[in-house]
Amino acid sequence: MRFMILFQATPDSEAGRLPDEAARAAMDEFSLKMIEAGMVLGGGGLLPSSKGARIQFSGGKKVVTDGPFTETKELVGGFAIIQAESKEEAVAWISRAPVADGEIEIRQIFEGSDLPPEVANWERRAKLDALIDQANAQLNAS
Amino acid sequence: MRFMVLVKASPASEGAKPGPHSEPAGPSDHEALKKAFAEMGRFNFELANAGMLLGMDGLKPSSTGARISFSGKERVVTDGPFTETKELIAGFWMIQANSKEDAIAWMSRVPFEEGQIEIRQVGEASDLPADVSDPKRRAELYALIDRANAERKAS
Repeated sequence: MRFMILFQATPDSEAGRLPDEAARAAMDEFSLKMIEAGMVLGGGGLLPSSKGARIQFSGGKKVVTDGPFTETKELVGGFAIIQAESKEEAVAWISRAPVADGEIEIRQIFEGSDLPPEVANWERRAKLDALIDQANAQLNAS
Repeated sequence: MRFMVLVKASPASEGAKPGPHSEPAGPSDHEALKKAFAEMGRFNFELANAGMLLGMDGLKPSSTGARISFSGKERVVTDGPFTETKELIAGFWMIQANSKEDAIAWMSRVPFEEGQIEIRQVGEASDLPADVSDPKRRAELYALIDRANAERKAS
């Protein structure tokens, strides 16, 4: 099963401040364990919301609002995509993150088997996945 | 530049009604659902054919999720569902674009009638100061991540 791990933004991340060296080292060590266990499929940090934007769709109309956005705790500061046998396993691993404060959310990702094929065209998704893989390969090669 | 495009949850996406990419005010009947998926599919192909699509997934309702609250050494686990729908994420795209404006221009074409998406720039190794991010180390870690992805696809 795949899970998306959502880390909250913090006043520091919103100000573009990196965590201190000790905190980074601890997080690197923790990440390494999960990566070596083959659990990590991807992840990244998000730059401050001042560099972002929101698009609100309403009755076919779109309104764009530039960041920053004020409710720091509600903002995503970073994410990881992991695989685990169960939610319990995902929770057990993420509980060991060297985080002293705040909340991490664990959400399950929809897989092909979750949706009826006549509704979600998985052949089409496979074609999209091939294009996605190609774009990632080109990005990594550059 | 890479951007994470987060789709905000809605009562519909939280109600476990499968929508194309967790469409917020999703249609409820079979034919309408197929149509919505087809429209979203067309949009996704435009992104993908332009070489911009790096990833995308829908998240299951928060009822299948959990939150871990950290306080010093203490951990408190709370199972979903979580009530503040507007704070929840229902899905995402990962895209590459030349600028935030470019990303906005593309993502404005998402075929949503209702809902909200948030476009956030993803940090690159080049954003970090040189002494923080050791390239060799990074390469090793990415290789392990790539292998996990390859093994998963092969299975």
